[in-house]
Amino acid sequence: MRRLLTNKRFLTIVSLLIILAVIVLGSLPGSPLNAVLKPIGAIVNPIQKVVKYTGNTISGFWAALTDGMAIRNENEQLRAEIAELQYELNQNEEAAIRYEELQEAFHIREVFSNYDIFGASVLSRDSDEWFSVIRAGVGNSDGIYLEQGQSLAVVDVRMNLVGRVIEVNEDDSDILMLLHEGFQVSGKVNAVNGATFIVTGDASLKQQGLCLVTGIDPDTIPNVGDEIVTSGDGGLFPQGIPIGVIESVDTSDELNITATLRPYSDIADINDIFIMVPFEEENTFEQVASEVYETTTADT
Amino acid sequence: MRRPQQIRKYIVYAVYLLLITTVQVTFRGWLNLYGIRPDMMFVFVVLSAYMFGFYDGIVVGALVGIIRDYFSAPTVTGLDGTVTNALGIGLFVMVAAAAYGSAFFTVRVERNFILAFLSVVTATLLYKSAGHLLIFIWSHIAPGLSYNMELSQVLLKSILPQILMNFIVAIPLYLLLRFAGPYKGGVNPVLVDEKRKGDQAWLTM
Repeated sequence: MRRLLTNKRFLTIVSLLIILAVIVLGSLPGSPLNAVLKPIGAIVNPIQKVVKYTGNTISGFWAALTDGMAIRNENEQLRAEIAELQYELNQNEEAAIRYEELQEAFHIREVFSNYDIFGASVLSRDSDEWFSVIRAGVGNSDGIYLEQGQSLAVVDVRMNLVGRVIEVNEDDSDILMLLHEGFQVSGKVNAVNGATFIVTGDASLKQQGLCLVTGIDPDTIPNVGDEIVTSGDGGLFPQGIPIGVIESVDTSDELNITATLRPYSDIADINDIFIMVPFEEENTFEQVASEVYETTTADT
Repeated sequence: MRRPQQIRKYIVYAVYLLLITTVQVTFRGWLNLYGIRPDMMFVFVVLSAYMFGFYDGIVVGALVGIIRDYFSAPTVTGLDGTVTNALGIGLFVMVAAAAYGSAFFTVRVERNFILAFLSVVTATLLYKSAGHLLIFIWSHIAPGLSYNMELSQVLLKSILPQILMNFIVAIPLYLLLRFAGPYKGGVNPVLVDEKRKGDQAWLTM
């Protein structure tokens, strides 16, 4: 027995079998094994923050040294631009006041007005081709919760689609990126009655920073350069989030027309993300009144 | 092993473990080929196991695997199409890599730097090949998983770039473990004792 316990092959096989059991148990919904990793975070998170801060400081210092001349020239150009923009801003302020008046008058709802937006910085990135979930520093403690079957859209600072939240922890969230082969979203050409199709990540295209477009109807083939936005079909994502532009179309197989899409978001170098969380609209007076009426009539 | 040596071992392992894992997931770095970056965690585990033996390798592998799962767990597309985090896969990969590294030509051939790099290259080849094979099989079972890579693409845009990247990063990591590693002189004294006892030829570099 003692000899068996010191046998390296035996120990390796037993260890790997135990880990396989852990993987299977961990994949069950609500598995307590997920909580096992929490203490790890208490140790590695502060260290990662220090490493990140040190790296940013060093790269900032290096950039300050090398970019001095370029920044000076850029600064002069930017000053000229600011003067021009200031003039435009004065004109736009007037237009904005008029727009608000019109919006109020016609009850125009702003795009995504029924979504709370939670900003967060990217805490950790993918570690290799397959270990590709990224973590963002916003979680349950910030008021984000993910219900079974729900999907929260993640966008960048320009409101372009980046990915979706697949898990929310106490202080952070796990995000599946747009380029991942498991990612799928229903998209459409950004036009009135634009054709709809499926945008997915693809193993062979993600290294070029591209997505695959499938489900294309032969009668409504998108053109190169068409802008694709989320269609809102399926209800997982709100309609109208920009995804990217069509880069190429492959019509060689009429039964399976595909296209490639270049996302707007620079996913490889993203530092800040925004999570869109839908909120329940407060009941209007009419809704409350009808609910009260229904309950009272049911009682009588 | 004397107590100061043991303390040194734990401190050095802890520092490398935390630094390598956090640097890997924090910075994208300038070194990449077709989007493939060096996998420092993997190389660190294989080299530790090859250079310092089975027990060191397994412990380092398990710790690196747990941290890898915590920072950037892989996702698995289920049979119902839902994508979930799969905890434990990093742990599995790293423990298997450590077991492989510790057994790589260490029975009859003396540990040396050429075989150290060869262990990294072959371990990467096995890991990437097995990964692609599993994803290929799974993509035919699970709906919504898009995997259209041809064999030439797998080789030229995934496996070979990863081998090259890992080989490049293995050079500084080998030097660190050898000359500023957990053991004085880059040699685990336990392995030397094993050699003297004739219990396999776990030799020194």
